[in-house]
Amino acid sequence: MTQARTTQARTNRSRIKQAFSAIILAAAAAASWPVAAHHSFAVYDRTKTLTLKGTVKTFQWTNPHCVVWVLVQPEGGGEPQEWSIETTSPGVLTRGGWTRNSVKPGDRVSVEFNPLRDGSHGGGLNSVTLLDTGQKLSASFAASEKPS
Amino acid sequence: MKTHIFRALLLASMAASGVLAAAEKEPINAPPTLSDWQAMAKLPDIGGVWTPLISDQVAQERTNPPPWKPVIAKQVERMYAEEKAGRPFPVIDHCFPTGMPSYMLITHNGFEILLTPGRVTLLGEGDGNRMRRIYTDGRPHPADPDPTFHGHSIGHWEGQALVVDTIALLPQAYLAVNEAVGVPNNGDMHIVERIHLLDEHTLADDLEITANKLLAKPWKTTRKYVRQRAQKFDIVEGVCEQGSYNDAVDKDGNAIFAPIKFHNGVPVGSDSK
Repeated sequence: MTQARTTQARTNRSRIKQAFSAIILAAAAAASWPVAAHHSFAVYDRTKTLTLKGTVKTFQWTNPHCVVWVLVQPEGGGEPQEWSIETTSPGVLTRGGWTRNSVKPGDRVSVEFNPLRDGSHGGGLNSVTLLDTGQKLSASFAASEKPS
Repeated sequence: MKTHIFRALLLASMAASGVLAAAEKEPINAPPTLSDWQAMAKLPDIGGVWTPLISDQVAQERTNPPPWKPVIAKQVERMYAEEKAGRPFPVIDHCFPTGMPSYMLITHNGFEILLTPGRVTLLGEGDGNRMRRIYTDGRPHPADPDPTFHGHSIGHWEGQALVVDTIALLPQAYLAVNEAVGVPNNGDMHIVERIHLLDEHTLADDLEITANKLLAKPWKTTRKYVRQRAQKFDIVEGVCEQGSYNDAVDKDGNAIFAPIKFHNGVPVGSDSK
């Protein structure tokens, strides 16, 4: 009986260990979940400014940051490449004259931005120009610094 | 028989006094009276929407840094070096509320102040539930409050200034000077603020932050906010987690949030698949 109890206890401990391992693995998976929405714009290289022309795939109008997803045709041909051009929040942009419809899927745009330092296809937006109308929208806190 | 009656009376009396004592001990939020509302009209006009003077935040960071303890100063120095190298420390990436005092120190978004009898409320615009409740009804801090991101705040009016005392902050709440440089307060932080108008269009928050685990002495600093009466400045909903998702439609035609792809903290793909 004692032997049986000990064996059972060992089995239980083993099961508990397995369960803990599963929890730890789940936690590790959760930790790698791509939630990192609010970050400093120091990730973008402000000593460099790039300009790219492309077509808007979608305009993500969310806190804490909005993103203009742009499809850019590579110079040498091939499939269009997706660039994520990130900017400030809907609240700040609204005050600067933007709406969630300022940039729409299919719009032909020129985006001016500070690129990611590792050459990945991303950047921090300075301005976007709608090529069909010539309208230029800037990402700026200037409006928030004046009383209204 | 007499003994039984006496005991019954004694018990009844004890029960009644117990109930009364409980009623006395259990404070309530009393309904506001007409004079409470009339008194509101005499308060300084700090209600409404304010946006931070970010250029002054940056200037303050340069000219009046916190008096970090030497061991903390080393961490801060490392963070500045990382920021300069384009690897900013993730002070706010977790999408939790920024917490106090960083909420007042480094926010780039607006907030709204509501004045009601016995209460001042700050409603923020980003990073989830950025909200401060400041009780001005004369209550003390609780004896053993639960630590929270914004702490427990009690306030009173000294002339034209709202003086706010905040304790019970989560040790994880950062004392941050920008979005890439900040250190968890690690416990025992105490904040006293004087919130007042500098002029019709400018609100000042004079903060005195005592953080014994981080600072060699209390740090006094001021942050300024700009008055916004234009309705385009009305506070918008800001749910930080939403920034990790794009709008999508599932196979059943239902509107859903689909995760986008991140790398090193920045979005790199509109679809995580």
